[in-house]
Amino acid sequence: MIHPVFQNLRSISVYFGTWILLAGIHFSILFLQFRIPLNIALADSFIYNAVLCVIGIAMWYAIRYSMPGKTTGFTFIFNHFTYLVLLLVFWIGTGYAALNLLFKDNLVYINFLGLSIPYRFVAGISLYAFIGLAYYLIIMYRDLQDKAKAETRLNELLKESELNMLKSQINPHFLFNSLNSISSLTITDPGKAQEMVVKLSEFLRYSVSSNINTFTTLEKEMQNIHRYLEIEKIRFGDKLVFEFTMEPGFSTRNVPVMILQPLYENAIKHGVYESTEPVKVITDCKTFTDYFEIRISNDFDPSAPARKGAGIGLKNIRERLKLMYRNDSLLKTFVLNNVFRVVLTIPNKPFENNPEQ
Amino acid sequence: MTYKAIIIDDEKPARDIIRTFLKELTDIEIITECSDGFAGLKAIQDLKPDLVFLDIQMPKLTGFEVLELIENPPLIIFSTAYDQYAIKAFEMNATDYILKPYSRERFVQAVGKAISKLQGGVALQPEIQKIIQSADDKDELLQRIAVKTRHKVHVIGVNEIIYLEAEGDYVMIHVKDGNYLKEKTMKYFESHLDPEKFIRIHRSYIVNAEVIERIELYDKESYSVLLKNGASLRASTSGYKLLKQILHM
Repeated sequence: MIHPVFQNLRSISVYFGTWILLAGIHFSILFLQFRIPLNIALADSFIYNAVLCVIGIAMWYAIRYSMPGKTTGFTFIFNHFTYLVLLLVFWIGTGYAALNLLFKDNLVYINFLGLSIPYRFVAGISLYAFIGLAYYLIIMYRDLQDKAKAETRLNELLKESELNMLKSQINPHFLFNSLNSISSLTITDPGKAQEMVVKLSEFLRYSVSSNINTFTTLEKEMQNIHRYLEIEKIRFGDKLVFEFTMEPGFSTRNVPVMILQPLYENAIKHGVYESTEPVKVITDCKTFTDYFEIRISNDFDPSAPARKGAGIGLKNIRERLKLMYRNDSLLKTFVLNNVFRVVLTIPNKPFENNPEQ
Repeated sequence: MTYKAIIIDDEKPARDIIRTFLKELTDIEIITECSDGFAGLKAIQDLKPDLVFLDIQMPKLTGFEVLELIENPPLIIFSTAYDQYAIKAFEMNATDYILKPYSRERFVQAVGKAISKLQGGVALQPEIQKIIQSADDKDELLQRIAVKTRHKVHVIGVNEIIYLEAEGDYVMIHVKDGNYLKEKTMKYFESHLDPEKFIRIHRSYIVNAEVIERIELYDKESYSVLLKNGASLRASTSGYKLLKQILHM
């Protein structure tokens, strides 16, 4: 953290200006009230204030080292007490020694100097407190600014990721191919075309209107998946077979919205798109004490070399789960012979974002 | 005269609409329909159609891979939802490239173009420019390579490649369980494989960086690149420089 005195020309002039002002007051008191000779009053005010001015700059590092909250209350008080004693001894000591040396012939002044030490103590303590307080305020202000900046950045990131999510939610090729199917059905089977338009619209509405950071019930997610699979079924016919085994009670569970669709899209992309044989997409759920699992498996042709884009959908899901549950092992994939399986673990409670921590 | 056509698309509704639109055009007769790349390739070779309606994204072989493997390809009309392949399609001398979903007019126009080509005329291709301009012109890196041996078609994932070797007008692709000849140039592979992974170490060799075991000085001017499978390839001075750069040696 940059030293607040040296952050710019203004702060430098304010700091040194303040010390010149203090030295001026110091001088006025000595010269006007105590009738100290001009040269001695000047020397006294200069020496004492110059020393403290330098110590004041150094104090920043001591203050930075001793932050309330970062150290215990006792250490904090002990640190400040030590600093203060050191400061007073050094400050008053050097001042006294220097002035004593310079003006040892002026007995009246030397006498005055000795008598003034308690007052200088009081002045030292007040100045120490004042400088310390000023530094703490500056640190607090900076922290606040940093936090505000971080928050803005976080919001930007969030929006960005939401936008990307939205883009990735609707695969344009899925959309255009579905529209092509509809175009075809309008001629060959208008009733089915109408049905598909409705399904596609519902699917799009769900995808577009979903706020990516919210939760929904598993029932709604599954409805959307059925819509999605039925659309794909119109495209691929008997090549796509799906099976769901859902225990009762699952439908009311909460899941992040649109978390399932990319998993099914992945299953279809690597299963149905690459296969000439019927591909079965099987879903089942299992409950545990603190979480439940959704398991999706699909057949695939292991001899088909991977196309690009493999795993990007899964990576996105993993990232979202990590953000929402602070756990990066909630999505697991398994390959067994010619079956690909994803296991999605949904904890019962999402990660609570505790501002105190 | 009527011309023979084949429809190759993995989605039934997509085949249906082509068939329906073609019904009204008496010049074209559909001889068969296929739902994957392999079947399509076989049908083209066996039935020798005049015109093929070809999807790109399909199981087994993509439309491009099918086209690459045919010796004297018929006229091809690509029909796909992907707009980013238009340039590649025309580079492969496709007659037209129609984006799904398409209108009846657009389809008839594409077929008209094919018919005039078949009749020996030179078809104007105003539509092409439009698509090419709107498409993203990025040379995509290869993910897999389709090769044909005497009776079989193999699809090789690029990760399986150990190294490529120049063989006259062909390139020999060395993989773990054999070698395959592909009618392409070294230059083509050099520019279509991931340059961080496949390194042109010599005029005659492109090697997969992941299979390199060690590199030894061969003589003053060249180096030997020893591979994990025991093979040893020559690297030229410039090839060695490239190796050093990519492997951060």
